[in-house]
Amino acid sequence: MKFFSFFLTKFTSLIAISCLLSGCVKDIDLDQREDISLSPDLQIDLLIYEIDQSQFEDPATGNLKTRISDTVRLEFLDDDYIQEDLMAVNFYFRHINTFPRPIDSKIRFLSKSNREQFAINYTIQPGASGNPITTEQYELIEEDRIGVVRRSIKMVVELEVQPGTSAFEGGLEFASKGFFSFEF
Amino acid sequence: MWRLFGLFIIFSSTVIAQNKPLLFNVDDLPQTLMSNPGAQINFTGHVGVPLFSQIHLSAGSTGADLYDVFADDGTNINARIQRTMRDMDSRDYFSVNQQWEIISLGWKLDRKNYLSTGIYQEMDAFVYFPKDPAILANEGNSDYLNEPFYFDDVSFTGEILTVYHLGINHKFDKRLTVGARAKFYSGIFNAESTGNTGRFTTYTTPNGRNVYRHEVVDMDVLINTSGFAPLKDEEGMTVEQATAELLSRSFFGGNVGFGLDLGFSYILDEQFILSGSVQDLGAVFQRKDVENYRYFGAYETSGLEPLFPDLDENDEAIPYWDIFEDEVDRNLRDRTTNQSYTTWRPVKANFAMEYGFGPAFLPCHYLSAKKVRYMNLLGMQLSGVKRPKGFVYALTAYWDRKINENQRFKISYSLDDYSLTNIGLMYTRTFNKFNIYMAANNLLAFPNLAKAHSASIQLGMQLIFNN
Repeated sequence: MKFFSFFLTKFTSLIAISCLLSGCVKDIDLDQREDISLSPDLQIDLLIYEIDQSQFEDPATGNLKTRISDTVRLEFLDDDYIQEDLMAVNFYFRHINTFPRPIDSKIRFLSKSNREQFAINYTIQPGASGNPITTEQYELIEEDRIGVVRRSIKMVVELEVQPGTSAFEGGLEFASKGFFSFEF
Repeated sequence: MWRLFGLFIIFSSTVIAQNKPLLFNVDDLPQTLMSNPGAQINFTGHVGVPLFSQIHLSAGSTGADLYDVFADDGTNINARIQRTMRDMDSRDYFSVNQQWEIISLGWKLDRKNYLSTGIYQEMDAFVYFPKDPAILANEGNSDYLNEPFYFDDVSFTGEILTVYHLGINHKFDKRLTVGARAKFYSGIFNAESTGNTGRFTTYTTPNGRNVYRHEVVDMDVLINTSGFAPLKDEEGMTVEQATAELLSRSFFGGNVGFGLDLGFSYILDEQFILSGSVQDLGAVFQRKDVENYRYFGAYETSGLEPLFPDLDENDEAIPYWDIFEDEVDRNLRDRTTNQSYTTWRPVKANFAMEYGFGPAFLPCHYLSAKKVRYMNLLGMQLSGVKRPKGFVYALTAYWDRKINENQRFKISYSLDDYSLTNIGLMYTRTFNKFNIYMAANNLLAFPNLAKAHSASIQLGMQLIFNN
């Protein structure tokens, strides 16, 4: 019995002490914490509009106004997460046109001092009533050019109707989004 | 016997538990009265060494361990984090519990009653993995179009408090021992956020006006804090000042609450013993230094819409962004208030059945009614803790062996959310009247804690009198 007690005592102590003293962390490298980053990819809608020929009418004369534009401030472009952590943006623009004429689309991004940072220009293909034509445009801005987005605060959308003989009647739908890649 | 077993299972399914199973039903140690005030005890008095009578630490994570994230295997850490986050779900949790006994003492009032009292400090944090918000922050919405991100996943409780307690252990008759412990809580810090609702979804809209529709629905997220606001508002507060401020709340200076522990043990026959307890049936009333942060509302958008107004060069452009922000602020609101709230303590419950063999006679003492003890006890214990999303259970089988009058060990195997290989060991030794004890769970994980999902340790020293 004494031997049993002795054995149990020593065995218990040995197990407990060896387990607790050997308590350590192995096979890991905590220095890797420096490399931890969040890298979300966000799909964000930007601007939308849906216009018809009335938008191209000069209110004073009633004549066709071939060029219209509007400016939208995108205040979020000035936020810290854009200024410090934005790595790339892929813009997508889509027009669905039933006007029978081509329309030049110019999308410009301006700084606070209205200096143009970058622009995306393309021609919207003509459509017809009952036959809408879709024009899509992508603009990828990667890390080497991301400064142009960081410096931008305004998005200007301009439309210029190309000359033609057909009656200018129809509609134009615009959709746009940005695929923003961050690394925090 | 089978009826008994059936009763055990039925009762087990309705109870909830504690996190120190190795100290449960150890009749040589006063700490057993902290987990079951109605435990059978085998001493006539005790005085803990102040600040050292019990130090308890436990930490666990059901979904990930250090190795999952920091493995030194040449792969990219961010890829491992992404994989780990995807593997976890919103019922996985992280928990930390720490208790530090400041004063502990007790004595036999007569043959039937043992009074025990003391003070301990406790910190308890329990955080469910907020899977959806975490995935949204780490990966974004691009790969999760048309899939909602639920704010319901945000659920946590955390508290630091000092507990003043007084308990009585009463031997009702030869078979039944009952006990109760009244607790007074002095809250130092509390933060909780449970029962949140809401979801954020980015829908693809092939026939819609834009490519997507972003939608926040039914959002209602509430974070309650007490004891946090003064620390936050005090600019330039040093660590020493913050510590002094927190300590001042330990002595009735903070938010107060009351609780109760109840327990029993019942000798079915000479060798079968049933025991059970419920701990921390109580609440803390958070009334001082309270701040509540609430985020609520609903909103959807497909983007900003320019109107192409007929402006000349001197006209101001329409402030679309300001209009958008105002609309968002009207619909997705946040409010900071100072409303009192009540927090229920995480109720713990234990139920155990044990079988003793190898009887030995105890030394005769006029205050001690117990005459026989068993050198070996085989037991099963079900324990659980009430947490925001339900009970967290552990089922433990153990062999409790008294080596001689001065030494005892207990070896256990537990099934719980953390591990299927949780082996624990408790060892206690008494030199004359001076007792030391040490207990640790999940021993197999100690050689490499990086791969452990949980670990816990209790140790302490005290004077124990039994004559």
